[in-house]
Amino acid sequence: MLEQIALLLVFLKASALAVGGLASLPLLRADLVPRFVTDAGIVQALAIGRLGPGPNGLYIVSLGYLVAGWTGALYALVGATLAPLAILPATALARRWLLSSWFGGLVRGVSLATAGLLLATGATIVNAGGTQVWQLGLVVATVAVTLQGRLHPAVMIVVGGIVGLALGR
Amino acid sequence: MKAPPSSRALARAWFDIGTQSFGGGSSTLFMIRRILVERMGWVSLREFTEAWALSQLSPGIHLVAMAGLLGRRIAGLRGIVVSVAAMMVPAALITAILTAFFGRIAQEPLTLAALAGIGPVAGGMTIGLALTMARPVLQRGRFAIVDVAVIVASFAILLAGSAQTIVVIVVAGVFGAVLLGHERPTSSDAPMS
Repeated sequence: MLEQIALLLVFLKASALAVGGLASLPLLRADLVPRFVTDAGIVQALAIGRLGPGPNGLYIVSLGYLVAGWTGALYALVGATLAPLAILPATALARRWLLSSWFGGLVRGVSLATAGLLLATGATIVNAGGTQVWQLGLVVATVAVTLQGRLHPAVMIVVGGIVGLALGR
Repeated sequence: MKAPPSSRALARAWFDIGTQSFGGGSSTLFMIRRILVERMGWVSLREFTEAWALSQLSPGIHLVAMAGLLGRRIAGLRGIVVSVAAMMVPAALITAILTAFFGRIAQEPLTLAALAGIGPVAGGMTIGLALTMARPVLQRGRFAIVDVAVIVASFAILLAGSAQTIVVIVVAGVFGAVLLGHERPTSSDAPMS
């Protein structure tokens, strides 16, 4: 029972301290790898989260499933859903406070740190998956496509899978 | 003020938004505006813009905060529950089912080969998103040096493994509140771009 609550708290905490959907990744990785899931599992969750419907941050449900089956998926969904809704009472009770400059600065500081943490996490994922020339080529292509923002990310997952089938054996 | 829409119509709208959105950037924003403001007329452009700005300050998935804020505006508590559930629950269910199926083939040689190509893509997506989050720094002129320092420090600390991730985030938040507060938050795309 205690373990179950701890797991729910891991997902809730990661969602509550992240600004943006994928921003929970460095926190979850810190808590779950390698005890509950490997970096290969993180890659799976990111890929499935992108192939499935819904916002970017839903990879967390896939990760939850990998960690603890349907219960884990449910905990992840609860954490990812409840954390952003904190904005509802906040806007009702302290609207002025939310729009104050120091709160804006806080969000900006967290966003900048998250950018750095995500960069490091991305590098770790790349490193764990292999660094052959064709794999690094895929990294560069995906970064370019993501920055450009026009192509659905699922397309790159499929491209990566096909290239892997051709070259990864 | 028109009568609030039925739960069914509201659920349908947010299901569509959740299914078709990706990245949470300006394409998602454009779609929400097209469906809720222009097609349905449930919220005004001003309410929409304000909800977007506030949702960028929320923890976690901004789109959930957006669904909660606009749902409340459209139909109160019912609007919150219907909007958020319609966007999250079907998508989460499909995601979990995909993961369960994938578990059955995860150790097959062909799957492992495909994953050798998917790994770099997943890493590239993460790096690309980090750069997207960092992009507003380019418009900051001489303040950019402070922003870049925070990014580089967080990056280095995590890779060096010398502090807990949560500590980095909390310290950066306090640093931002004290030192970066004289400017506007930059975690969002400009609402009308």
